[in-house]
Amino acid sequence: MMPANIFPILAAQASPEVIDRIPSSYSHFVIPFVAGITFFLVWIFVGLIRVLTQLNHDDRMQFWTSLLNPITAGKNIRDLFCDCLFHTKIWQRKPLLGYMHSAIAFGWFMLIVLGHIEVALFVPKHLSYGEGGLFYPIFYRYFVWIRPGHETLRGAFFFFLMDFFLLYVLTGIGLAMFKRFRSIVLGMRHTTKPSLADRVALYSLWMIFPLRLLAESFTADLSGGSFLTLGMNHLLHFLFGDKLYFQPFWWAYSICLGTFFAAMPFSRYMHILTEVLWILFRNAGLKPSHPRKGVAEAEIYACSSCGLCLDACPMNVQKKNLKYSSVYFIRFLRRHNERKIAEIADKCLMCDKCHALCPVSVDAPALRRAQRQTTNDHLPYDYSYLDTAPVKLHEAAIPRHPELDSGSDSSKVLYFAGCMSHLTPRIIKAVEELFKKAGTEYVFADREGGICCGRPLLLAGKKEAAAKTMDANKSMIKASGCKTLVLSCPICYKVFKEEYNLAGIRVVHYTQYFKELIDAGKLNVGKSGEKIVYHDPCELGRGCNVYEEPRTVLRQVGDLVKAGHEYDESICCGGSLGSLTLSQNDRRKITDAAIKDLTIAFPETIVTACPLCLKTFSERSTVPVKDFAEVLTNHCG
Amino acid sequence: MRNNVLIIGGGPAGLEASANLQRLGYNVLLVEHSNTLGGHLGKWDRLFPSGTPASGALDKLLGSMDGVKCFTDTEIQSINRLGKSYNVILSNGITVLADAVLVVTGFDLFQAEKKEEYGYGIYDHVITNADLEQYFKTGLDARINAPRKIGFVHCVGSRDEKSGCRSCSKVCCATAVKQACEMKAAFPDAQIYCFYMDLRMFGRHYEDMYLEAQRDYGIRFIRGRVAEVSENIDGSLSVKAEDTVSSKPLKVSLDLLVLMAGMRPSVSGQRIGSLLGMQNEKDGYFEVLSEITSQQRSPIPGIFLAGAATGPKTLPDTLADARGAATQIDKYLSDIFPKAKDLKQLIKTAW
Repeated sequence: MMPANIFPILAAQASPEVIDRIPSSYSHFVIPFVAGITFFLVWIFVGLIRVLTQLNHDDRMQFWTSLLNPITAGKNIRDLFCDCLFHTKIWQRKPLLGYMHSAIAFGWFMLIVLGHIEVALFVPKHLSYGEGGLFYPIFYRYFVWIRPGHETLRGAFFFFLMDFFLLYVLTGIGLAMFKRFRSIVLGMRHTTKPSLADRVALYSLWMIFPLRLLAESFTADLSGGSFLTLGMNHLLHFLFGDKLYFQPFWWAYSICLGTFFAAMPFSRYMHILTEVLWILFRNAGLKPSHPRKGVAEAEIYACSSCGLCLDACPMNVQKKNLKYSSVYFIRFLRRHNERKIAEIADKCLMCDKCHALCPVSVDAPALRRAQRQTTNDHLPYDYSYLDTAPVKLHEAAIPRHPELDSGSDSSKVLYFAGCMSHLTPRIIKAVEELFKKAGTEYVFADREGGICCGRPLLLAGKKEAAAKTMDANKSMIKASGCKTLVLSCPICYKVFKEEYNLAGIRVVHYTQYFKELIDAGKLNVGKSGEKIVYHDPCELGRGCNVYEEPRTVLRQVGDLVKAGHEYDESICCGGSLGSLTLSQNDRRKITDAAIKDLTIAFPETIVTACPLCLKTFSERSTVPVKDFAEVLTNHCG
Repeated sequence: MRNNVLIIGGGPAGLEASANLQRLGYNVLLVEHSNTLGGHLGKWDRLFPSGTPASGALDKLLGSMDGVKCFTDTEIQSINRLGKSYNVILSNGITVLADAVLVVTGFDLFQAEKKEEYGYGIYDHVITNADLEQYFKTGLDARINAPRKIGFVHCVGSRDEKSGCRSCSKVCCATAVKQACEMKAAFPDAQIYCFYMDLRMFGRHYEDMYLEAQRDYGIRFIRGRVAEVSENIDGSLSVKAEDTVSSKPLKVSLDLLVLMAGMRPSVSGQRIGSLLGMQNEKDGYFEVLSEITSQQRSPIPGIFLAGAATGPKTLPDTLADARGAATQIDKYLSDIFPKAKDLKQLIKTAW
């Protein structure tokens, strides 16, 4: 690294005390770099102020206080290193791709940090305003030469580190170039189409490090270097003789850096700094309330357009639907392309997989909900049914088991089946049978029909309508006096758990509840050799992090085999209520792909724990599809 | 030498076409994968609009089949083009060189259990239109137990994008009205409801039947789809629907619910289609050369189509289509195999 001399007059006072290094003064080649980075710094400073002023008062307070909270601060530091520099989330899934990203990010970061340490150690005067002037050696290897005969071990150590990390970055860049042509080798079936600014930034980023290698190699005999740059230097001397004209390479290097920084605000590389802000927002618990402003702005500029969400998106079983992926949604948000924004926002199934797999957890589904809210929240609705809907509570008449009587008095359970379970009566039948077998005293909240839990309305961006139905349900639940609410639909489960604030009432999904009953010995299940595959419903798995309870139980009743994609990589069944406009034909393609993925180990039964998945799969699958509770009733003694 | 014509499918269309082609002087071979001829007609009791016995109609079709070689319980194993003709290998080991092939593979009934919200196969008193015809034929069905309130659900698996079928099955409206009247006749004390979206009474005498159902049988027609069905503790059914005429949700308790399962392209027909490399249209039925002028020709030369293999049809439409196919085949064979109808030979036999 060499000094970028911003004010040549001040820089001319090179300090005479330095004995092992010869700092020199200004050179014109720094101009492109200085111009580019100045533009960039002004841009992000203005952007930062804009984002912070766009936050509403509560969010802003929440943000500042989160920075002071030691737990959040610790999480921030960990996330900044893991997500921004090491890209651990990519490593875990695709090691080669993780290596590529971390090589460029962490490698470059180390080059910058080590460069500053070198400056501090070897030309300390330049850090002090008074003596060195406003003069900072960014292009260290151009401006700071070794005084012959003063090579130190300490200097050699830093030269080695600098060369090492430069090589590290270069391997990353090499992989990145290779990925442009053969992305599948790095584990990506689809990769994003770069925009014009992306291309400018991309090609200058590709050029920066090879040019840096060349430039530093040309001056390595004067400024010092290690295995890489010195080796290259000897080669260059061998090829071109004693005199090396290094100026053109430093110019090219500076121009590339300048171009990169100037293009950055308009390209995907804006994520490099914005993701820092987004991680702080994310850890502070801020959620976007507007699809474009405040938190959302930080979020959409934190998107690196890496395209991991392309392969994640279930819609992309058909290549024509690639354009609806989160990465393009965010790109259109940046460009204010209102027509496309609305179209893409409505298409999404809200399975949350892109969010789960995103290296920096950009919550694109939340942005889509915020977008839908801008158009759907203020539509007129008829709420008259909320008052007229007969919300009667039906206590099931259960003959009591004398032996279980002692335990069953303390807890009365409220069962809310929800609209979707009412469309799949075998679930209700099985759940009631299990309750009876376990001697659970229960109240069937919506036997005669209830009202929507509110989640589908929330997904459609109808926040106010959702609030009305939620209030109605809330008073019904409070009136029941029950302390446990059992749900057979993950869609209901998520909203009851997260949005209702039912203080004093335990909200459980039936997979969790029946596991407890089995663990307590109230339900006895027998094991058969039936080969079962379990499908993680989106709202239960990614939505509520319930992965293990159903699997633990299913292992007790049969032989649980693996699906192609499981846990947070599970594929949406295609029936999701989340999409407002996806055609039935497109949905069927997704369903077929999901079934194919589930049946790679040739299971005899597909088991799921969501009425919507059950219904969707049953219509298309040749392998029998059963509900979790249904399987339990078949295996209950 | 007489031309060979292969008919794939032994339903009404197959029977009608073979009888006609046989009469035109061809050597007709009919292959049916099940063990009986007659297809869905054999399982039906009476036919709309006038209650004609199905067995009578079937007997008439079977009665004019003299000379047609019929193979039941037989599958097509392979079918390949050989010159102008098709070389067909049957599962019984016979190989046929067919000069024209007529695919009359018909339809399958929609599997009503796939509309799980109606509870077919889950609740004790939910049956389909086919189950009810079986009951009319045999008088046996444990699910039908002196019902006092009966509901008919139209459009089960038809005109329903979610169940994968956008189109109308054409026969269910008239069948529902016919069956509703028959049930009223069988159980005069029962109150009968029909839940419909539109009543498509397009055929001759259909409107009369609909009028009679309201006037003489007191059937109540409710415009609105059934949303969901649940079972009460006493085994009766609680049906939630919407009455779109009065714009109000509606709830009735019923003793029997009959689902009017619609038509789907037949699975065995799809297998034949893939053997022949025939294309399906979006709705799953076979593509025809021109839906206006060449409805009985497939885009593949020498392969003809008739009946419900090219979309839902009523029985009279199917029979007319089969007759049309027979004349189309006759025309095709005379054009492509001109020597087949040798004039001298014809004069010798005709005079």
